[in-house]
Amino acid sequence: MAELLLEVGIALTAVALAGALANRVGLSVIPAYIVVGILVGPNPPSSVLGISLNLVSDSEFIQVLAELGIVFLLFFLGLEFSVDQLLRDRGRISAAGGVDFAVNFGLGVAIGLLFGWTLLETLFLAGVVYISSSAVITKSLIEEGWIANDESGPILGTLVFEDILIAVYLAVLAAVAGGGDLESAALSVGTAFLFLGGLTAVAWYGSGWLDRFFRTSSDELFILRVVGVTTLVAGAALALGVSEAVAAFFLGTGISQTAHVERIEHIVAPARDIFAAVFFFSIGLTTDVTLIAGVAALLAVAVVATTVGKFLSGTFSGRFYDLDRRRSLRVGLGLVPRGEFSLVIATLAAGIGTGRLASVLPAFTVGYVLVMSVLGSVLIQQADTITDALGASSG
Amino acid sequence: MTVYETDVPGVGKKFEVEIGGDERLVILLHHDGKREIFHKADSDADAERLFTLQGRLAREVGAILQGAYFQPVETDEVEVPLGEAIIEWIDVDETAELVDQTLGDANLRQRTGASIVAIQRGSDTVPNPGPDETIAAGDILVTLGTREELTKLEGLVEADDS
Repeated sequence: MAELLLEVGIALTAVALAGALANRVGLSVIPAYIVVGILVGPNPPSSVLGISLNLVSDSEFIQVLAELGIVFLLFFLGLEFSVDQLLRDRGRISAAGGVDFAVNFGLGVAIGLLFGWTLLETLFLAGVVYISSSAVITKSLIEEGWIANDESGPILGTLVFEDILIAVYLAVLAAVAGGGDLESAALSVGTAFLFLGGLTAVAWYGSGWLDRFFRTSSDELFILRVVGVTTLVAGAALALGVSEAVAAFFLGTGISQTAHVERIEHIVAPARDIFAAVFFFSIGLTTDVTLIAGVAALLAVAVVATTVGKFLSGTFSGRFYDLDRRRSLRVGLGLVPRGEFSLVIATLAAGIGTGRLASVLPAFTVGYVLVMSVLGSVLIQQADTITDALGASSG
Repeated sequence: MTVYETDVPGVGKKFEVEIGGDERLVILLHHDGKREIFHKADSDADAERLFTLQGRLAREVGAILQGAYFQPVETDEVEVPLGEAIIEWIDVDETAELVDQTLGDANLRQRTGASIVAIQRGSDTVPNPGPDETIAAGDILVTLGTREELTKLEGLVEADDS
């Protein structure tokens, strides 16, 4: 017990230090958590100047905390998912989201096939490089003040569209990849839709009941109920072969219809932050950086191609929102960052573990996210310089 | 004046307010209680962050803007100045000699010079009490008079130690 406790303590402290450092430098915490996981994990680098860095092992405990990280990240995503806004703006959001998907998912598929990956591996790869990081982008939008400008419209709209698409994508892929032949795959997909459909129905029609269930004046009881129900639903989903991330997402959207949203934000968000940090840390923990060297070519191609892809599709989407050239360029730059969702997809792939999904794709994703989260943040920070250089100065 | 309201997923709500001419104010409400205020010179301009307010401060500034800012006042003594005379609320102790006397019998005006403007009894108020009004223990007399007159009156309604 002492050893495990010590390891968890080291993990959490390392994460805290990494986050502080990232804040100091003005970059997103996600790459920082991953890097520190790589450093203190069992994989290389194993020692620095003779001092062993092999401090934390990939214990089951850390794995569970990481799983909870995925569950609560998606739960909060569903919670804040505004169905009303989506419906109100559905024309523009579908247009922008559609372009984004066609260009970037398409690019991902092309790259996968180009490098000779199997269809399943390619579909995972495409998902990893397609989806932008809501966490990194929203944070950058607020820091740069873009959140109050018109370019935030298409950026946030595209992110919302991606959320739905990823939910469907994860549900289908998890079910398909789990099964062997066509019949069991179809069965898995069927079960998935049944489970999620049932969950949505309970959430939609039972929102009054849900509202009453969570109503308690005690903060302690409140957080226990929310965390308990969410974990239970996620666990049940996983046991049935349904993606626990998607189940959490749907549960979140269901609860978003109740009056408890703000309270959950206040009280449960801190728990989510701890779990999410451990999730990113554990990604680093289980990554063998030497494998990244093996996919260097793929990485280089992916980084260049998908950065250009997002830039072009984003800039084009500005058209649907009647933005001028400068703001359209900002949309293009703003959608470049990749992060948490790519890692969730990679974790799912690692869980399936066939062929390249076991360690090549996860290693690739870590390298990819490390580069794209930093590159994306820098591009947004330097946006004005870039738009000026491209001849679209303000006025 | 139009107010545009949008949800910002993962952050909170955003309100854009036209404040005259082409100028706009953008207010971002974070889920954690933080409020950020931006200013746009016109609808095409980049927003400029003016300031950020955390939870409690945001609420207080909001109350000031609303004209509803309330600073609590010391309620031990509430004095209303009227030239030399003041209005004071005086408690009638249950052992005071005036308890169960009518105002007429108590003859407070003659004895002290102060007048009883109203009597507060629990949640009720008796305005302009007549001479038949009986003074009860626990009443609060709303009195008008100079300081000397009120001091004399206070002596009559204090706890009777004799």
